[in-house]
Amino acid sequence: MSEITLDGLAKRYGEELAVEDVSVTIDDGELLCLLGPSGSGKSTTLRMLAGLETPTDGEIRIDDEDVTDRPAYERTTATVFQDWALFPHKSVLENVAFGLKMQGVGKEERRERAREMLERVRMTDHADDDPMNLSGGQKQRVALARSLAVNPDVLLLDEPLSNLDKRLSEDMQIELREIHAELEETFVHVTHDQDEAFTLADRIGIMADGNLVQVGEPNEVYQNPKNRFIEGFLGDTNFVEGVVDRTSPDAVRVETELGREVVVPTSNPDALDAGDAVSLSLRPEALSIESADAGLEADEAGQPVRTDGSTTNSVVGTVESVLYRGSTVRYSVAVEGTSVFAERTVSDSGEFETGDEIRISWDGADVLAFRDDGSRVDL
Amino acid sequence: MSGTHSSLPAPIARVWEPLRERSRSKRALLLMAPLLVFELLLFVAPFLILLRISLTSGSQDLRYAAGTWSLEGYAEVLSSGVLQDAILYSFKLGLIATGITVSIAVFYAYAIWRAEGAIKSALLFSVILPLLTTLVVKTYAFRPLLSPTGTVNDLLLSLNLVSEPIQFVPGTIGVIVGQVYIVLPYAVLAIYSVLSTMDWGIVEAARDLGASRPRSVLEIVVPQAMPGIIVATVISFAWSVGAYAAPGLLASQRVPFAIEVEKRLLSNLQWEIATAYAVIMLLLMAASIGVLTVTLNRFGGEFEYA
Amino acid sequence: MHRETVENVAFRAGYLAILTFMLLPLAVVVATSFEASGQLLFPPENYSLVHYRTFFEETTWLSAFDNSLLVGTGTTVVATTLGVTAAFGHELDDGRTGQLLAPLVLVPLLIPPIILGISMRVYFVRAGLNASFLSIILAHTLWATPLVYFVMRSVFSRFDWQLLDAAKDLGAGPIQSFAYAVLPNVKHGIFVGALLAFIVSLQEFVMALFLSSHSTETIPVVAWTALRQSLDPMVSVVSTFLILISIVAIVAATVATNLEWLSKQLS
Repeated sequence: MSEITLDGLAKRYGEELAVEDVSVTIDDGELLCLLGPSGSGKSTTLRMLAGLETPTDGEIRIDDEDVTDRPAYERTTATVFQDWALFPHKSVLENVAFGLKMQGVGKEERRERAREMLERVRMTDHADDDPMNLSGGQKQRVALARSLAVNPDVLLLDEPLSNLDKRLSEDMQIELREIHAELEETFVHVTHDQDEAFTLADRIGIMADGNLVQVGEPNEVYQNPKNRFIEGFLGDTNFVEGVVDRTSPDAVRVETELGREVVVPTSNPDALDAGDAVSLSLRPEALSIESADAGLEADEAGQPVRTDGSTTNSVVGTVESVLYRGSTVRYSVAVEGTSVFAERTVSDSGEFETGDEIRISWDGADVLAFRDDGSRVDL
Repeated sequence: MSGTHSSLPAPIARVWEPLRERSRSKRALLLMAPLLVFELLLFVAPFLILLRISLTSGSQDLRYAAGTWSLEGYAEVLSSGVLQDAILYSFKLGLIATGITVSIAVFYAYAIWRAEGAIKSALLFSVILPLLTTLVVKTYAFRPLLSPTGTVNDLLLSLNLVSEPIQFVPGTIGVIVGQVYIVLPYAVLAIYSVLSTMDWGIVEAARDLGASRPRSVLEIVVPQAMPGIIVATVISFAWSVGAYAAPGLLASQRVPFAIEVEKRLLSNLQWEIATAYAVIMLLLMAASIGVLTVTLNRFGGEFEYA
Repeated sequence: MHRETVENVAFRAGYLAILTFMLLPLAVVVATSFEASGQLLFPPENYSLVHYRTFFEETTWLSAFDNSLLVGTGTTVVATTLGVTAAFGHELDDGRTGQLLAPLVLVPLLIPPIILGISMRVYFVRAGLNASFLSIILAHTLWATPLVYFVMRSVFSRFDWQLLDAAKDLGAGPIQSFAYAVLPNVKHGIFVGALLAFIVSLQEFVMALFLSSHSTETIPVVAWTALRQSLDPMVSVVSTFLILISIVAIVAATVATNLEWLSKQLS
């Protein structure tokens, strides 16, 4: 059992602030992904956890024991590094046995245990190889085995998959999940790749500018991003800028750059006032497209009404480009001088072409709104 | 050029063409030739002559008897206690100085590698400046420092660490200190140049896996730096065994090889002995450097401290 | 945490002690040159420039300076020419000759100067070149060339050779293309190599001792002879000049390249 608590963790290099304030509790046996763009402080946070950097401020506790000032070699953490950092003058087996050697385990026993670890990552055949002759994926497995061999309370992974090609990286993600499930140890995994984080994580912690912005289960973080940065970082989306025109008890009407009002239903009409600047996020998966002449009736306020009677938002635009991205097709549509994109699966692509007039429509309830300071509007 | 050779007769053109193909390597050869000739004339030839003179017999009124063949020189070296003592003393100095030099050099090179900014520049400067300063200057500064009335003894006396002055200079301790000072810059740079290509991440990995800081240096840094350490050892040993300046200025009665061979060559004019002595010394050095290198190479991989 | 602190203190104390050890002897030399009395005292009791005045009046030292300058310049010219051309040739074609050349050039550096001095002395006496400036220049070239050669190999190996091909494409002859395409890019390297050659020659004394006569003695040789008789404060004055020259050379080389790179070339 290893529960980790970070409390007000900060790291400064001279004037430069790498980590400003990170506080989070990582549960025993949890796999937490720290996700953020480069320079967000996620690797520095991990290195402080490992004991490779001394925090300028704050506290780290592992199982309620303060380890903030404890050097790396006295911590029960083990790290898998981005470039794997295998010892070049030692064989694969000696690499894996190194941690046990440092613990004072006898030669025979540590070789045997190292062999077991290599078996777990299916690298037994390479036990006597020079690690420098291995492929990236093989090095990654050896690095993993080397860290697991010391039976750490916490395994720290510092973007270990970022140097692998996409296919290999995806295979390794699945393998990592399996190993995590089997060992029931606490893992902290740092990555800049959203897909990787969503595949692996029990919880995701999103970092930006040295701060932990939001922590939550993947689904929750995706559905309920705390601010505009997270919404933009987690996936491609359309941000539409606008100004609140008027609010009513159950809806906010926003005058947008799309040249028409967007109606967002709300249960909290006091959240915004007329004249507030807002960004609306229209996620591509929430947009449906159809031929512009597919008839829609307008209600008395001029809002289109679906055939089933529900109100909806829609705009008409011209297809600018059609991009085939494997299993999906992305349509980029020019609307009133800006550009909106929508996606369809290939089988359901509707076969529109560049120059076609199409209608994009969405359910107002799928729209997320952000204030101009980036914070999310709770509608 | 193409204009001229098109008018060449066919047989000559047939020879010329492949030569032209090889013109790049021919030009390269031409560029390397001067240095090659220089090395042959100024390095290889002198050694062959040295070898030849070592095989002549002695002469009463000349430096050696030209044209004769004899092993007298070698016989003298192998039978003379004085000459052998000097060699033994030289090797003793060489081994001690090398051991001290290489240990300090590993530490200092590591410190330079880890240092940043102004400290790194200062440390590098402290190595390069003595390196580019003449042996004479480097050695004689130790006389006012280490003599019985010198600075170090004053310090030791005032701190009550010793009751009477210690005679470091002239003496073997002074020679060793001076010799370490002479070769240390070369040893540090040889090791530093290897370390500077090393990835700090693997040292972090070792610490992460439970190696304390001294242990991580021993387990990871030293084996990785072994090529540099071998170069440092070879240079330190070769130059310390052949040391001339430090013993010349700082030694007392015991005389090493360099001083003895100088005496035979310049004062006694016994060239057959001096040259045979130099040849034997060179062979012994080559053999011991070979042994040292092989021994150190075995430490390049996995080894046991525990 | 306690252990870490102790280690940090020990580590810092260790390298500062070595730093002191490296620079103290040079500081002693410079300081003793300002001692008023005729003795070598450190730290000096009374400061004075009296020995500097004497220096400029003594012909032995001044002519030794001239000799050193002559030998140094000669060595620089010969060693730089040999080293640069050979490194250029080696870069063009890394054939068997090149593979033979590298160790052959390196070996003299590993042989104690005393043995080189002996073999050279014997050789030059037989060749009738004994006690000439040329013999000292050639001996110093044997030591200085490897430095130039390895500096230039490292410079050339980083040079983009497509520039040379491009120049030839544009119709430049071999000498022109070298002068316009290669030279401007490697001139810093040549400068540093030449500087090192000069310094090596200026400071070398064992081979010079074996090869010089009274009229060709260089500064270190005169200093050595003086020291074997007594501790002469004049040697401190001369040494201060030598140290100053080295500092200027290091600064010049650092400006042309950088300290880090220079350090790697010297090893």
